[in-house]
Amino acid sequence: MEGKFPISETTNLLQRIKDFTRSIVEDLAEGRSPKISINRFRNYCINPEADCLCSSDTPKGQEILTLERKPQTYRIDMLLRVLLIVQQLLQENRHASKRDIYYMHPSAFKAQSIVDRAIGDICILFQCSRYNLNVVSVGNGLVMGWLKFREAGRKFDCLNSLNTAYPVPVLVEEVEDIVSLAEYILVVEKETVFQRLANDMFCKTNRCIVITGRGYPDVSTRRFLRLLMEKLHLPVHCLVDCDPYGFEILATYRFGSMQMAYDIESLRAPDMKWLGAFPSDSEIYSVPKQCLLPLTEEDKKRTEALLLRCYLKREMPRWRLELETMLKRGVKFEIEALSVHSLSFLSEVYIPSKIRREVSSP
Amino acid sequence: METTAPVPKLLLQLISSAFQRCRLSEDLCRLSVLLDQSTNNDPPITCISIADTGIGCNLEEFQILRCPREFNGAKIWDGLLSVKTTCFTDDEVYYYHINLDEYIANKRLKRQPSQAKNGAKFSGTEVSLTVFGSMDVLVAPIIGFFQKVFPSVLHNVTMDLMVKQGDSPGNQTQYVFAVNADKTPCFTASNLERLKSGLEDYVLRHGNCLDTMCDYCFSDREHLKAGSGTLCQEDKHKRVGGTMEVVIVISDLLETTQHCSRSCDGKTEVLYFDNFSPSPVPHLALSALKKIDWKNYGLILANVNDQDGHVFLEWENFPSYVQIQISLHWYHNQYPARQKNGPGISFLKKGMKNALDNLKAKHEGFLLSSHARKICSYVPDLARSIAGLIFSSTDLDFQGDCLSVLGFQTQKVERDTVEDYIQRKIVTVIGMNERKPQKDQEAAPFLFFDGESETSFFEDEEVEGEYYSSSLE
Repeated sequence: MEGKFPISETTNLLQRIKDFTRSIVEDLAEGRSPKISINRFRNYCINPEADCLCSSDTPKGQEILTLERKPQTYRIDMLLRVLLIVQQLLQENRHASKRDIYYMHPSAFKAQSIVDRAIGDICILFQCSRYNLNVVSVGNGLVMGWLKFREAGRKFDCLNSLNTAYPVPVLVEEVEDIVSLAEYILVVEKETVFQRLANDMFCKTNRCIVITGRGYPDVSTRRFLRLLMEKLHLPVHCLVDCDPYGFEILATYRFGSMQMAYDIESLRAPDMKWLGAFPSDSEIYSVPKQCLLPLTEEDKKRTEALLLRCYLKREMPRWRLELETMLKRGVKFEIEALSVHSLSFLSEVYIPSKIRREVSSP
Repeated sequence: METTAPVPKLLLQLISSAFQRCRLSEDLCRLSVLLDQSTNNDPPITCISIADTGIGCNLEEFQILRCPREFNGAKIWDGLLSVKTTCFTDDEVYYYHINLDEYIANKRLKRQPSQAKNGAKFSGTEVSLTVFGSMDVLVAPIIGFFQKVFPSVLHNVTMDLMVKQGDSPGNQTQYVFAVNADKTPCFTASNLERLKSGLEDYVLRHGNCLDTMCDYCFSDREHLKAGSGTLCQEDKHKRVGGTMEVVIVISDLLETTQHCSRSCDGKTEVLYFDNFSPSPVPHLALSALKKIDWKNYGLILANVNDQDGHVFLEWENFPSYVQIQISLHWYHNQYPARQKNGPGISFLKKGMKNALDNLKAKHEGFLLSSHARKICSYVPDLARSIAGLIFSSTDLDFQGDCLSVLGFQTQKVERDTVEDYIQRKIVTVIGMNERKPQKDQEAAPFLFFDGESETSFFEDEEVEGEYYSSSLE
């Protein structure tokens, strides 16, 4: 799988870094102020007209970083610091996590977000994905089910033990030999739900692959999911809490995040379906009132902000309707609330019925 | 510097006129002042002679002079000036008595018999007067005046002061302020060049208190950083035009300066010259100094210490190893001027700003604004990263190429040397950016295709709705 900006060879990227360095050196030598042009990307806007260009993956603007303002100079400083590390990683063919990079100069970087932004700037500048920089995420996701593959020569045979959780591979680009007998992929928001399904031997009775990002999904999990979708061409369903946070996670899987909008094509899951939990599920599946929590002011604000996102209006008006219903009802609930009648309700009733409905719907 | 006692004031006015005559001669001149106190009288009587080899005087100069005969109830002089003067083309030396008590112009001046020059070609003026009282009060103001003026605005005048008390050689003292032809600009140098070179000398000699440069504080003249500005005001029907010249000198003092009792204490002395003569700093100039946006030049003005026109600027958080000196010179475009007027506040401010900007432009990294200094705090880091990108590259051709672009001929150059050089280059660029018109600076950072809000996605700490994204992605 390749990102939006395919750069297959490390030498190519190293050459770009050298060209970039040389242009800065040349500017300084000739007494010119270096100007670093960083394209800006976004995957949504809150433009009510809905005729925006967010659906395209072209840059939506450009920032010119110069040495004229302190915040921009700091940003250039951080960019160059990280670039120096990246150059060394590439030359030595080593990998490091964002966290590793942060801890190389914690007092200069001040926060992980500074490193993240510098990495983002470098990716945009050199039109590449993060993995091209040999910067990897610390794996956070889990996978189980009807799947086996190799990652950098290492075997992951989930088929051997269908209900055992395996970590999502960190070096997704080096995943190969994917074999699966699954009929669909189920993405669940939370590890608790993932473990519930594992305990219930869900994959023994359902031919599927179950993945969780354990909350907000990291890059490895999203890229792995995207890889499976591309290689296996399986339908993907997502199960999240019925609250704005759950919906945000669903939207991140489906549309990607704003922060990594520059690399959205390699991270989003375009055909993902929302399996649940819908606001209406509380009535359909008789969730007791005590399990329904009132939306806080913060929840309402978040939901209203989500409703404004252009991609919902354009591509998922039904999701938007569900969100509006949640806001109207003023309550939220967790997926676990569905298990109030029976511990295995999710794996035996809820998910299979939802899947059947999805399969039978046009 | 300003003296309120009438006699010293009159003396300085007469010396100042003598300077003007020397200046206008555009030739090497001598100005001699003699103070000769007779020891036989009580109160003592001092005969004063001010002689110069300048162009010969214009008697209009004496029409505006005033000096009472008495001061605080005591008789201080007889009110009479004796003036002998001749121009180069004159055949005679003219001799006048000028009674300063006389207010009617044509009675004020009495011509005395002239003296034939017998074909000799020279010019000059000698003004004599007699005052009552000790000459002690006169010596210090005259020396102070000479120290200020020499060689700040005039390079063609050698000055000497002879102080005599009786005829015995042991009771004679001579102070000489001689032109050093090696270090001073030639006569054709502009007034501004003279002011600049004069201020540099003044700084190097600790306010001309020393005969030579202070070796404790300065290694050589080249380490002084000077900036200058000139501003001209045209004649208008009611206003006489003039020129404002400003010179600012910044010196990095040596570490050995601590051994020097005369080294500065971080204060900035402001010298003011009015028509080529040292003068107290006028109030308008003081106001202008206070109104300058010093922060634009990285300075915070803490206090203006004004002692009767002798002005020192005091700075906040000022490094002890740096010294700043300012010299302002206002002169009329014509001499003698029909009427005297000084520069206005905005004119003074503009002149100062020109000089500050000139210094900033000539010496990168100096007088950077506090904003630019904040940006400069990243310079060492930036230089380290850029040098790192060059030196850590395994591509030796690339390394050599970059070093060559930076002007280093050999790959054996030390990384620290390159880093230092890059640092200096970045500071140059930051200084340059600061001098760019504000409009350009505003336009540069954001270039949008779609004209949307300028808020950067990346500068938002939390992108709306994305709760966890910043740390986990």
